[in-house]
Amino acid sequence: MEIVVCLKPVPDAETRLRPAADGTRLDPEGVKFVLAGYDESAVEQALLLKEANPGSKVHAISFGLPQRTEEVLRAAIALGCDTATSAEATPGNDADAIAVAEGLRAALAGIPHDLVLLGKQAGDDEEGLVPGALGELLGLPHFGFVVDLRWDATAQRLRFGRVTEGGQEAWESPVPCVIGLQQAWNDPRTAKLPAILKSRKAPIAKVKPPAPSPDRPRCELERFALPPPRTGARLIEYRTPEEAAEKLVRILKEEAKVFP
Amino acid sequence: MTPSVLVVGEVGAGHLALATAESIGVARSLAGPDGVVGIVGGAGASSAAPEFGRYGVGRALRIDDPRIDGALPAAHAGYIAAAAKAVGSDLILLGGTTFGRDLSGRVAVAVKGAAVNGATELTWSEDALQVRRPVFGGRATETLRLRGRPSVVSLRPHAFPPSAGPPVACSVETAPAATVPPALLSPKRTGVEPTIQGAGPALADASIVVSGGRGVRSQENFRLVEELAASLGAGVGASRAVTDAGWRPASFQVGQTGRSVSPQLYIAVGISGAIQHLVGMMSSRVIVAINNDPSATIFRVADYGIVGDLFAILPPLTAEILRVRGA
Repeated sequence: MEIVVCLKPVPDAETRLRPAADGTRLDPEGVKFVLAGYDESAVEQALLLKEANPGSKVHAISFGLPQRTEEVLRAAIALGCDTATSAEATPGNDADAIAVAEGLRAALAGIPHDLVLLGKQAGDDEEGLVPGALGELLGLPHFGFVVDLRWDATAQRLRFGRVTEGGQEAWESPVPCVIGLQQAWNDPRTAKLPAILKSRKAPIAKVKPPAPSPDRPRCELERFALPPPRTGARLIEYRTPEEAAEKLVRILKEEAKVFP
Repeated sequence: MTPSVLVVGEVGAGHLALATAESIGVARSLAGPDGVVGIVGGAGASSAAPEFGRYGVGRALRIDDPRIDGALPAAHAGYIAAAAKAVGSDLILLGGTTFGRDLSGRVAVAVKGAAVNGATELTWSEDALQVRRPVFGGRATETLRLRGRPSVVSLRPHAFPPSAGPPVACSVETAPAATVPPALLSPKRTGVEPTIQGAGPALADASIVVSGGRGVRSQENFRLVEELAASLGAGVGASRAVTDAGWRPASFQVGQTGRSVSPQLYIAVGISGAIQHLVGMMSSRVIVAINNDPSATIFRVADYGIVGDLFAILPPLTAEILRVRGA
């Protein structure tokens, strides 16, 4: 099976978030963009499927600013992905979900794909728009919130669960299709040092997506702000548990106004 | 000028879902009572479509296509795009459910519009839509301007109250025809394993959530958390420590690897406040923490705290709530 895994470079979890001087976006100064969150699970799941289905290949692709995509693609190679393709974004065109989907489509153009795998949402904006947008662009079915993804070689079908409000649905789908993954079979593996060193020299194919037309619909970031720092809980003073209970109920009712 | 808004309905247990009522509330506040049109498809659509009237929407489109009953959400996209075009919608609103979040990106490409998931604030001014949403697990917010029409937005669950109406008579029409690509109809749903949940509302729907953590200490003791939840009519959640220990099923888990909730009130009992838990509940409107360790991280994100032994606090708290609620 030819598996393509789509990766978005996102700020490292340790990043101290800070708005840029003009207040419109995250200040990228000193921020390390890495492979993280559900994308790590997507890579893990792709590798597990490859191991379970001999002859399979895993192709990593990423859309974004070149130095950022290179970082995540090398990480993917170090983990065991077979090829890496970077679709270059122009500055300012890397934040819009539809632009991301279009960039990924450009990267996909030359790559065989039975399964297009993504994290169900990115580790920064947590939107989860790209699986559906990419599915529509490619004319393929897409599924979000997927767990327990397996390839049934006899039936030539993918089988998986989809976690919804009502319960876990069981699905089967022919390929090709697009999957937004919620969880891999197990926690993501870590790369070994020799593989990391080798990945530094791995070739990365480069694709230049066509520039978007200036009047095309899009989301523009106007403001990036940090919420006022939480000052910490107001602790309820009490002598007996009964008094604590009474005071809390009064606060919820009269002050917070959330008592049912 | 006010925008024209198409609200994408969702059916749960034969009725319009709470998420749809929330979308209608937002749509009415942007578009006024006459600028909103509903659309609903899939199993249960016939009985759900007239219910748009209950929330103050006088016109609804029903997708009459049995092929999309039980099909994947993506199969609805073509109908929604066709309806938006026929109605002349400026904005397509979806609920913050797995259905709505899964569909929005697809619909946006189909209508050639911009899209945002997880909105907590929408304003319409000078013929443009501005949307605010939390990012980085609630550690920051983004404000976006959406260019092009129609825009496609899904809401963050429970960030908005359901529409309060007033009820009107709703005229239901058949939605405009659309083609559904065969590729979208070939995947098959082969079963559903219902979520194992406690008594009370489902976690995702609950406007109040009470969660228990490691501090509860045993499977039997977790009953105290559930009794507190029952007194409030709240959904029951748990931290990973509880589900890993098997005291309650994994479907109870709130946090990074479980469910994200954003209720009006979140009560954390015996939960220390690991970051993986916090990202799943930090955008709740009011947070109360009950924990015996005054240095627990949870007190830093909570609005109100009781430092004390949960085994001493919970029984009188449950009793007081029942007394005040007159039960």
